[in-house]
Amino acid sequence: MSVKIEVGAGGIPHNQILIYGLVGSLVLIYLTYLNTITNTQYFAFFGGLAAVVALLWGTDTIKHLCSYGLGTGVPSAGMIALGSGVVGALFGATTGILAPIVAIIVAAIIGAVAGVLANNVVRMDIPVMIVSLTELAIVGAMTVLGLAAMACGTFEFLGMITGTTVILGFAVQTYEASVIGGSIIAVIFMLGAIAIQHSFNACLGPGEKQDRTLMLAAECGFLSMIPVAIISFAFIAFLPALVALLVSVIGWIYTYVQYIALSKRDAYAWLDAKPILEPKGGA
Amino acid sequence: MSALGGPKQTGGIQPPTGMGLVLSIVLIIVALALAFLLVQMAGVIALVGIIIGGVLIGFGVHFVPVGGAPAAMGQAPGIATGVAMLAAGAGLAGLFGGAWAAPLGLPLALAGGAVGGGLLMAITCTMVNVIYVFGMGIPAASGKVAKDPITGDTFPEYKSQGTEGHGLPFISWVGGVIGGALGGLGGTLIYLELLDIYQAQLPVLLNATVEQIAPVAVSLAGIFAVGMFLMNAVLAAYNITGTIEGPHDPKFKRFPRAVIAAAAASAVAGIFAIALLELVGVF
Repeated sequence: MSVKIEVGAGGIPHNQILIYGLVGSLVLIYLTYLNTITNTQYFAFFGGLAAVVALLWGTDTIKHLCSYGLGTGVPSAGMIALGSGVVGALFGATTGILAPIVAIIVAAIIGAVAGVLANNVVRMDIPVMIVSLTELAIVGAMTVLGLAAMACGTFEFLGMITGTTVILGFAVQTYEASVIGGSIIAVIFMLGAIAIQHSFNACLGPGEKQDRTLMLAAECGFLSMIPVAIISFAFIAFLPALVALLVSVIGWIYTYVQYIALSKRDAYAWLDAKPILEPKGGA
Repeated sequence: MSALGGPKQTGGIQPPTGMGLVLSIVLIIVALALAFLLVQMAGVIALVGIIIGGVLIGFGVHFVPVGGAPAAMGQAPGIATGVAMLAAGAGLAGLFGGAWAAPLGLPLALAGGAVGGGLLMAITCTMVNVIYVFGMGIPAASGKVAKDPITGDTFPEYKSQGTEGHGLPFISWVGGVIGGALGGLGGTLIYLELLDIYQAQLPVLLNATVEQIAPVAVSLAGIFAVGMFLMNAVLAAYNITGTIEGPHDPKFKRFPRAVIAAAAASAVAGIFAIALLELVGVF
């Protein structure tokens, strides 16, 4: 017995979201490189925004994939996305300024292999499986890389494994007080996984609307940014971390209010609701 | 737009396609060759360990009694959540057990991982049955077999009409523990192999002692083990498509497909994890 998963029609075409998501997250993640160029840390929060854009794209991909009925839960798609994405993200991170591009390529390879295996060996035989798992792996990689860049101000591997700690008044370089050495990457992994799998899982069903699902995805993304912004106080200076926290909180409040408004719009028997139109051809 | 197609609901088990099989073998061989080129014999041994770990995970998932949403309503036997969640829980518990025992040598660490995963599933299965029997007031009855292969208890007279069985029969409990143990063993094996690689390479690369880089090596090996664990678990979940009762379920016979897929997916993700440090400082 499997639950029928219904998705709403209409909205922005998936391919358009794919291009916006890919280019948007790539540009935003490269904006964190301004930190290195200008020798400040104020641009760290762009990494989080890159993750939010990637999550929007990933949510639409999950919607696309799960409309075929995987037989297993929607969260599994989010798990495989981050599972293959984290390998791509960390492998990419070792290549310096090329990090985001290499991360995308490596994640795409791993995702495509997983997709081919799912279709040809496990015999899911779902037409969009290979494309979707490729996209999801890239989304996972961009989410991990973006949030990691937000936490430590750089997407380069050496920056992620080194930090400074103050012992007896002296600043000492250490590998423990870093994003990877402190296992913050594991927290980032789960924050990304929860954000990517929740929105469609929560919104699926009759009357699912793309704008509402995507608004929830953005809300989840900003919600994941808040803990990362708080974590970043440990790795970057106080003011840049405060900027990141403010951006996250403001973004979260805005998307949350918008999501509640959209939910009220679509809810049945809400006091201010307009009558719901029956979907053509039945729900 | 609702469910558009999905896996073909044909009887029997569809074998992997020829292309899928050939691709899996080619991918594994290419990955092994790359591992030899990059890290010599140590790399090959590590990659073989990772592939074995992945196969153990993919195989172990099939033992775990997954009920999904129907089980939550008492309409199907098993634990009331998805494959990915259960496998992640068992695997991560095993990984923690194994990682804790890592300094005590390979056999003890692997045993620690297996005991950790098995223990988590034993506790989960027991508490699930406590809730089913004393909370929901339903007896344990399998819908797939008439008699428990271990205890000899008969099921049909306890099975409610219109359900596929309910509760967690003893055979499913045993399956859960075996699955958790195999998953924990596999996850720990991946972790230990990667830890060996990183502990050999990082001190040279960063000009530091093994103790200094330990946090980075542990964190990297851990996050990659988690990522590969989830990839393999989700591929196995796609193979099961939804719910499975345990080793007595007819769906259990599908496991060879998941084993092939897990081996190839682990090889591809594993080669990137092994080659991670080769590019540091190149760009």
